[in-house]
Amino acid sequence: MYEFVTGPLAWVSFGIFLVGMTVKTVSVIRLALKKDKVVFNHFSLGWSLRSIFHWLVPFGSRSMREKPFFTAVTFIFHTCLLVTPVFLLSHNILWDERWDISWWSLSERLADYMTVLFIAAAIVMIFRRLVSPEVRIVTSASDYLLLAVVMAPFVTGYFAYHQWLRYDTMLIIHILCGEIMLIVIPFTKLSHMVLFFLTRAHIGSEMGNRRGAATW
Amino acid sequence: MAEPAVNTDIIREKLAAVKGSRFKTWLQICAHCGYCADSCFFYLAHDKDPKYMPAYKVMKTLGRLYEKKGKVSRTELEEMASIAYGDCTACRRCTLYCPFGIDIAVMMAAVRGILCTQGLAPENLMTAVQSYYDFGNQMSVTTEDFVDTCNWMVEETEEEVPGLKIPIDQPGADLMYTINAREAKFYPQDIAEAAIIFHAAGESWTFPSMGWDDTNLAMFAGEMKCAARNVKMVYDAAKKLGAKRIGVSE
Repeated sequence: MYEFVTGPLAWVSFGIFLVGMTVKTVSVIRLALKKDKVVFNHFSLGWSLRSIFHWLVPFGSRSMREKPFFTAVTFIFHTCLLVTPVFLLSHNILWDERWDISWWSLSERLADYMTVLFIAAAIVMIFRRLVSPEVRIVTSASDYLLLAVVMAPFVTGYFAYHQWLRYDTMLIIHILCGEIMLIVIPFTKLSHMVLFFLTRAHIGSEMGNRRGAATW
Repeated sequence: MAEPAVNTDIIREKLAAVKGSRFKTWLQICAHCGYCADSCFFYLAHDKDPKYMPAYKVMKTLGRLYEKKGKVSRTELEEMASIAYGDCTACRRCTLYCPFGIDIAVMMAAVRGILCTQGLAPENLMTAVQSYYDFGNQMSVTTEDFVDTCNWMVEETEEEVPGLKIPIDQPGADLMYTINAREAKFYPQDIAEAAIIFHAAGESWTFPSMGWDDTNLAMFAGEMKCAARNVKMVYDAAKKLGAKRIGVSE
C-alpha cells in the first residue's frame, strides 16, 4: 500500500495538479484574449507587480490593516501551508532517496511548531466563518469542506510524526490526504494559488494604469 | 393583473456574453473571506447588516442568475433589481478591498444590463435613455433651445463682460467644452460662468451643437448600447471639429 500511494498515486496526483494548473492558467489567458480585451488595453507590468507585491506583504494594503487580527491569521495560515510541506525534513529525505534531489530543510522542532500554528490558524478561520455575520452569510458547505481538505494533511502528518495511533496506517492516510489536496486544487477556488497573480495583475493595471489609482 | 413575462432567452444570451475570463475566474476564486464588507457604505450605514456586504449582493444577483441558468421568476428579478440599483452604486470601493481584486461593480453593471432588458431599470433612468436617443442629451433639450440658451447668456453678460462669445461648432478650437444637460435646462448661468473663465483665460474653445452633454445615465441604467452611443457622440463631435481636448464640466 505504501508503495502504491508513494508511487503511481503520487505520479497521478502531482500530474493532475501540475497539468491541471497549467491548463487552467493558459485557458484563463486565452479566453481573456478572446473575450476580455479590456484586460489588455491598459495592461502594465509595473502596476501589476506593485499590486501583487502590496498584497503579498503582511499589512501591505488598507483592507488588511483594517482587520489586523484576521490578516495575521491568514498570513500565518498561508505561510505555514506553503513552507512546511516543501521544507519538511522527512519530505526532503523522500525526494533525496527517490530522485536524488535535495534542498534546505526546516528543523524538526520548527516544522512541528508550524504545523500546530497552521492548525490553530485554520481553526480560527472556521470559527470566524461561524461567528462573523458578514462572513457567515457568504459561507457555503464547500468553504468548510475545502478547509478540511487543506487541514487533513497537517493533522494526519502531525499524528504520524508523533507516532500516535498506528504509525503505518496514519502515514498512508497522511499521504492520501496530501494527494487529495493536490488533485482538488485546479478544480476549486484553491486555484487562487496561481490565479491570484492574474487577477491582481489585471486589477492593478485596470485601476493603476487607467486612472492612476492604487489598489492597496 | 398577470405579471409581465420574463424573457429567459435574452437573459441567457446576455449571461453568455459577459461570461469571459474575468467573470469566470472571479466567480470561481472568491474565497468568501469577508474583506469586502467594510468597504461598502451601504453595509456600514445599515449597522453592518450582512445583507449589504458586496460579495453577498453578487451571489444574490449574478450568482443566482448563473446558478439557475437565467430561469428566474419575475419576483426574483425584482429582488435583484432592488439590490443592483438600490443597494449598490457601483463605486468599486470593494474592488480595492478585495485580496483578489475582484471587480464587483463590473459584475453589478452586468446585472443591471440584464435587468434593463426586462424593463426593470428605474423609470427615470429609462426616461433619460429615451431622451439620449431622441435629443442627444438626457433632458430633452433641442439643439435650437441649446443655441438659444447660449445666445441668451451672451446677452445677459454683455454689460459685465463685453465681447464675450459662446462659440458653437467652431472648427479648429483647442478645447471642446461639454456640460451636464441640467446646466442648459435649469442653470444656464453655469454656462455663462464657464464662458467668462474661458474668455478671461483667452482660451480657444467651442461647444458642439450635438454631443455637448457629458453625462451618461444610460451607463447607470445598464443600457450599454445607449451608453456607448453617448460617448461616441461626444468623441465624434470633437473629431469633426478638430478639437485637441474635450473639457468636462463639474
